[in-house]
Amino acid sequence: MKGFLYGVALQWKLDIRSKSLLVTCYIIPLIFFLLMGGIFTSVMPEMGSTLIQSMIVMSVSMGAFIGLPPSLIETYGSDIKKGYKANGVPIYLGLVTMFLSAFVHLMITCIVIVLLAPILFEATLPTQLPFFFLALAIYIIVSLSIGSVLGLTVKNQAKLTMIAQLVFLPSIMLSGIMFPIDLLPDFLEAIGRIFPASWGYRLMLDNGFCFENLWYLIFIFFAAVIVCGIVLKKQKAK
Amino acid sequence: MIMETIIEVSHLKKYFKDVKAVDDISFQVEKGELFGFLGVNGAGKTTALECIEGLRKYDSGTITVNGKMGIQLQSSSLPAHIKPMEAVRLFSKWNKAKIGFTMLNALGIKEIEKKQYIQLSTGQKRRLHLALALIGNPDIIFLDEPTAGLDVEGRVSLHEQIRKLKSQGKTIVLASHDMAEVENLCDRIAILNNGNIAFCGTATELTDKIGEKYFIHIKTQQGNSTFETDNIEDTLISLLNDLKQKEIHILDIKVDRGTLEQHFIEMARRETK
Repeated sequence: MKGFLYGVALQWKLDIRSKSLLVTCYIIPLIFFLLMGGIFTSVMPEMGSTLIQSMIVMSVSMGAFIGLPPSLIETYGSDIKKGYKANGVPIYLGLVTMFLSAFVHLMITCIVIVLLAPILFEATLPTQLPFFFLALAIYIIVSLSIGSVLGLTVKNQAKLTMIAQLVFLPSIMLSGIMFPIDLLPDFLEAIGRIFPASWGYRLMLDNGFCFENLWYLIFIFFAAVIVCGIVLKKQKAK
Repeated sequence: MIMETIIEVSHLKKYFKDVKAVDDISFQVEKGELFGFLGVNGAGKTTALECIEGLRKYDSGTITVNGKMGIQLQSSSLPAHIKPMEAVRLFSKWNKAKIGFTMLNALGIKEIEKKQYIQLSTGQKRRLHLALALIGNPDIIFLDEPTAGLDVEGRVSLHEQIRKLKSQGKTIVLASHDMAEVENLCDRIAILNNGNIAFCGTATELTDKIGEKYFIHIKTQQGNSTFETDNIEDTLISLLNDLKQKEIHILDIKVDRGTLEQHFIEMARRETK
């Protein structure tokens, strides 16, 4: 247990030292929030009621799909994995510590958004904060589980950049955070529903925490856990 | 003196599709021995070692290892931004081992503790990986090409560390393609060639088998020439006399015991005779 806890704390420190995670988990999401928060609320003042949820979906998608997978490739696509294995460290440690560390980083970014949005843009705070934070935690976990699948299954950084964009862009364009989802053509709305962002967004809205918005996220999470388990088992067997 | 076998490998086979990486090898390593695995790149050293270390599945054969293992891989890495002492603490906590500061000081880990892994030189990385392999106070230490990419100073320093470990009673299995290194350090040598053990014994037994073969390299204004001989003195004197008579000016002259490849060629030539 000591080793595991030290591993998580160490990973958190390593993430801070790594500029790429700092950029994808903090700098870009917060710059996006500051710019788009101002634009959204001045062009469409009614967006103030969903600004926090929208900015959180963007930030989490950025951190989970663009930030986490390269760190996983660095470990699982290189000799680091062999080094861990040779020194008696279980193969899952890298994944679990990176996952937990990214969870903490994204939660911090989201809390900053929740705190600043009402002050800077007169955004409305969620009325049921405990449910909101529960929904937020679930959404971050599900997004990170997809990021984990990307990081474990894609073998090189160049391919990953392309594939991560295929998940990231529809997540923010078709989830309803930029504009109402009912303005989209039916087929784009259907495509948007494949990605967890639209489900997570609805789950975080006031009165949105219900099984109807939750089941798909649970399904995606367990599917991702199974895929990660299979990939790690294969890597161990090699 | 009764020797205690600490590693026993019997009829080990590991194939990659049609490639016979390790083809039916058997050998034993005794406790406290420094055992060398010698072979050119692709001979099967790393694959055989990884099978013994339990890092790679093998097709058939049996491997018995009676002791705690410490492993320094040929190609290993750590996260780019980790600091040496953080890696040491991580691995010691996982292995529930106490950190041996004497060992860390001897390997110079203290001097590099503020640097991140990405900032370390090849030699410093090798030392750190050796320190990580030694964390759990292992009985058997596997070193796969530990001096590859090191400068002369780094090699000498690492050789000293290896000798020190042997003097502490550790069993060491060293894989290398450097014949001089293996000859200098190891009690016994196994030469791997195309996945087979071409020879297993002491350096003296190897010399007896291949004979006292020397190579004389002479550089003159007319070019470079290499001569094989079993008798340095006679050959050298006759070569020098010959060159003097022909008034050929010698620019450089070197005598060595031949490279691993040259000995392989010699062994193969004798076996086909």
